[in-house]
Amino acid sequence: MHIPDGLMDPIVAAIGLVEFLFVVGAALVVSRRALRDKELPRTALLSAGIFVAQMVNFPVGGGTTGHLIGGALFAIMVGPAMAIVGMTVVLLIQALMFGDGGITAFGLNGLNMAVIAPLTGWGVFNLVKPIAVRSKRLGEGMAVAVASWASVFVAAAACAAELAVSYAISSGAYGIAATVSVPAMLGYHAIIGIGEAIITVGVIAYVHQVSPETFLHRAGTNTSRSGTARILSSKTIHATIAVLVVFALALPFYFLYASDGKDGLEQTVAGTGVSEGEPIAKSPFSYGESYFAALFAGIMGFLAVALATLGILKLIDSRKMSG
Amino acid sequence: MIVAHISVGRSIQRLDEHASQIWFGRLDPRAKLLGVLAFVVATALLTRTTLLLASLAIAIVFAASSRVPVGHLSRAYLAALPFVLVASASVFVFGGAEKGLNMWMRVSACTLALLTLATGTETFNLFSGLRRLKVPALLTTLLMLTYRYLLLISDEYERMKTARKARGFAGGRNLLDRNGMRVLSYTAGMVLIRSSARAEHVYEGLKARGFREDMSMWKRSTIALADASFMAVFFAASVVLLALQIEVVI
Repeated sequence: MHIPDGLMDPIVAAIGLVEFLFVVGAALVVSRRALRDKELPRTALLSAGIFVAQMVNFPVGGGTTGHLIGGALFAIMVGPAMAIVGMTVVLLIQALMFGDGGITAFGLNGLNMAVIAPLTGWGVFNLVKPIAVRSKRLGEGMAVAVASWASVFVAAAACAAELAVSYAISSGAYGIAATVSVPAMLGYHAIIGIGEAIITVGVIAYVHQVSPETFLHRAGTNTSRSGTARILSSKTIHATIAVLVVFALALPFYFLYASDGKDGLEQTVAGTGVSEGEPIAKSPFSYGESYFAALFAGIMGFLAVALATLGILKLIDSRKMSG
Repeated sequence: MIVAHISVGRSIQRLDEHASQIWFGRLDPRAKLLGVLAFVVATALLTRTTLLLASLAIAIVFAASSRVPVGHLSRAYLAALPFVLVASASVFVFGGAEKGLNMWMRVSACTLALLTLATGTETFNLFSGLRRLKVPALLTTLLMLTYRYLLLISDEYERMKTARKARGFAGGRNLLDRNGMRVLSYTAGMVLIRSSARAEHVYEGLKARGFREDMSMWKRSTIALADASFMAVFFAASVVLLALQIEVVI
């Protein structure tokens, strides 16, 4: 999924870079205090560990192999902010030392694999975990599996979308047409994601048993607080925000795609639709130029709305219990 | 793909030693970074066939004259090739031969220039160059530490793989192979646990040596005439390429 230089349209790459710098800046600010002293070498070591874990090839079947991305794994282990910083470091080393992924495309690579993958993984994990744990049969492993599959799939979807947008706005000079990139990327990574899910579940369970202190992110710190403070500090809210941030990151690309040959009014309509949340699942069907792009936008919109709803329901639920 | 690059420690050490002997390796890292970056950005913006040909030619001349080991460079390029080929091929089929060829040349020129920069520069020299170009200290320190332990942990991983093989593990058959997937996830888990366990010792070691977040530079180089002229050549090439590209568009 490492995008090389010269593949993406410069405008897409520039938007990606701006978004990436913004998110990484925020992550650096958030994790700055934590990274001051003891956690600095630990983050470095874990980043190195994730880099090496990415070298673990798993068999997909038929002689092909896939390898871990580790975004969800990293985020579940150390929390989203440090995972973003750590994955950025991993990607920088890959780009600078091994030529995996370009420099001008670094914003997009960072966005897909160092921001979207860990944020999605962490967000989905924390949204699904309470439900999975409550329904005794499934357990935490299910949440890990869903989260890591989603992180790979959404990151691949983002990559496919960037390729498709590049193709659309450069009239074929850059990127890959949506009809090719979307089914190819999503189909391949839907399967790779299964491998990622199985391995991640195994790793989390193993690490939990052998050396639980490897996890930095511990639950249950917000029991002493009460009222709004407690709700605001709840994992569910943070996870919902994480998912919404991922969704928000995709919007500029969507507008870029939608604005290709469209007038201002239609963009504005799409804009208001987006802020309400609901019509996003429909609007691509009327505006999208190709079937796959529309289908893709629809799926993403549905997922985002579903997850946000899940988060809100969970919030109401916890409020009822506390009150 | 990544595995192809890392049969780690020793080969990188050899590259670093080689890099310190060639003229390109002795240039100031800042000059190299800025020059190559300008060239890559300019090339990524090109869409005309003749200009892309020129750009690819510049990249090839640069790679050849820099005296970095050709074998390593071509291996690294081939490792990056599949993605390049898939992308160009799909454009080739759907957008026409010229666009496909253009994309292949563009991606190749950028990749070649970057790989030459990476191969022909001592690793930690490159990082210190980044720091001196005002990349945040937190990030560069993390880069250096991560890179330093990356070599160590991946060596450990190689040993784990050997041990795994000795126990009769052949890599698993497919995604439904429970036993194979379990062994693989335990391997990955062990890699992470060992990294985390090592962190404590690393921290103590760093403290004992008076570690600060902003690691001080061990090599102070200044921009000399050679560095300045290297930068000037690349800037000039980038500007000319861009100017030609824009002129045609208008």
